[in-house]
Amino acid sequence: MNGFTSNAIHGAYPAQNAHGSLRVPVYDSVAFAQETSEDLHQAFAGRRPAHIYSRITNPTVTDFEQKLQLISNGAGVVAVSSGMAAISTLILSLAGAGTNIITTRHLFGNTLSLFERTLGPWGLEVRLADMTSPDTLAQLIDENTRAVFLESITNPQLEVADIKAIARVAEACGVPVILDNTVTTPYLFPAKDFGVAVEVLSTTKYISGGAPCLGGAIIDLGTFDWRKSPRLAPWAARMGPHALIGFLRREVFRNVGACMAPHHAYLHSLGLESMGLRIEKSCDNALKLARFLKKHEAVVSVSYPGLSDSPFHPIASRQFSQRFGGILTFELVSRGQCFAVMDAFRLIRRATNVNDNKTLVLHPASTIFEEYAEEDRRRMGVGEAMLRLSVGIEDYEDIEDDLVQSLARS
Amino acid sequence: MNGIIITVNGKNYEVDGADTTISRLLELCQVESPEMVAVQCNGTFVARDAYDSTTLVAGDDVEFLFFMGGGR
Repeated sequence: MNGFTSNAIHGAYPAQNAHGSLRVPVYDSVAFAQETSEDLHQAFAGRRPAHIYSRITNPTVTDFEQKLQLISNGAGVVAVSSGMAAISTLILSLAGAGTNIITTRHLFGNTLSLFERTLGPWGLEVRLADMTSPDTLAQLIDENTRAVFLESITNPQLEVADIKAIARVAEACGVPVILDNTVTTPYLFPAKDFGVAVEVLSTTKYISGGAPCLGGAIIDLGTFDWRKSPRLAPWAARMGPHALIGFLRREVFRNVGACMAPHHAYLHSLGLESMGLRIEKSCDNALKLARFLKKHEAVVSVSYPGLSDSPFHPIASRQFSQRFGGILTFELVSRGQCFAVMDAFRLIRRATNVNDNKTLVLHPASTIFEEYAEEDRRRMGVGEAMLRLSVGIEDYEDIEDDLVQSLARS
Repeated sequence: MNGIIITVNGKNYEVDGADTTISRLLELCQVESPEMVAVQCNGTFVARDAYDSTTLVAGDDVEFLFFMGGGR
C-alpha cells in the first residue's frame, strides 16, 4: 500500500480492535493504569511502550501521528495543540539564549512575532534572509545558528523559494532546515525529498477537514544528523536518529504541555482521509479565481504562484506537483475599498483561517499584521490595499458570483 | 541450552549463548515496531543497521528506549 490517500485512510491502525471498529476510538482519558508498580516504573523510564498520561502520549493521538508519519515518510511525529505550538516547541528544543535562527520577513505574522517579540527577549537572535536567493544564506550562518526556518508558500506574500537549494546550503553548514508545510502539506510537497530536516504543520488547516478544531505537528523527516545540533548531541548519543523525537517526548514537549486533545486527533484522522480530494478542489478553484480576478477591471493586481506570469510560477511548478495551493491575494486601491468589498460578500466569510472548506477573506494589514507599523508591514510585503482569499471547496461558480457582485458594489 | 545472562531494561534475561544478536533479542522480547525503539548496549547507541551484526555476550546491559506513543 503506497498511495497517499490509501495510507491516510488505512494508516497503521491494527486489526485487533476488540469490536472490529474501523476507527480508533476517542480515548478521552487522562491517565492509563498499569498492571504493576514495576510496569509503571518501566513506562516512566521509557523502557516499556505504554501510555501513561495524555499530556505525553494518548492512543487516539498516536494513531494520528502514525498516519502522518506514513504520508510524510517521516522518521517520527509529535502531534501538538496548534501550528504555533509546533513551531514554538521545536525552536525551544533546538535554540536558546545566544543562538540564532535564519528566517525571512516573509512569514506568517504570528510566527515572526513569536521569533522576534516572544523569544527575542529570551536571547534568540533572528537573522532575516531573502529566501529567494539561497546563495546569500551561507554568509548569515555561523557557529551559533541552530536552524533555517521558512514556509513552503509564504503567507500572505505567496513567495516560493527553491527549497532544495536552501537545504543544500544549510546542510553544507551543518544546520537543519525547518519547513512550515501547512499550505502545501505532504500531499503537494514531499519535503523529505527536498532535503528538509523537520516539517511543521498547522493541522488546523487542510488536514482537519474543515477547521472543526485546532492542531499541529512536528515531523522529523530523518534527513539530519542530530549529532551536529549542540542541544541535541547528547540525545543523539543515546538515541541516534531518534534524538529529536526522544528529546521532545521525554523533555520539551512533555514539559511545555502543548498536547493535542484526543478528540481533535480523531477529527484530524477523519479529515486526513479526504484531504487529497479537498486540496485538489481548493487548488482548482483558486487557479480559476486568480485568472478571473486578473481580468477584473477593479483589481489592481493578483498574486498567485499558479499564474504563469508569477515570478514564482516556475519553481512552484517544479516543487508542488502542478498545484499551487488554495491562497491568493489581490490588490484594490485602498483599505476602505477592501473593507467595502469584504462587507459586500454574501457567501465568502470574513474570517482568519486558511484552507478551510469555506472560502474566507481577510485584510491582513488590519488583522494578523495589525501589531506592526505600516512601514514594517510594507517591508513584509503586506499592503494596505491587499485582500487575502483562502479558497474553499464550494462550487466554483458560486464563489465567482460572490466576487462579481461584491466588486460591483464596492 | 548454554545460556548467557544479560540485562534488558534493568532485568536479568537469559539468552542462547550462541550468536544472539540485537535483532534476535528484539524478537525474543516481542518488541512491536522495533523501528520505533532506540537500542543501547552498555550505554552506547546501536544503529539499526548494526542490529544483525551486534552479538551479545554475557553481562551485556541492553536498554530499549521507546519514544513514540505507547503500546496497544
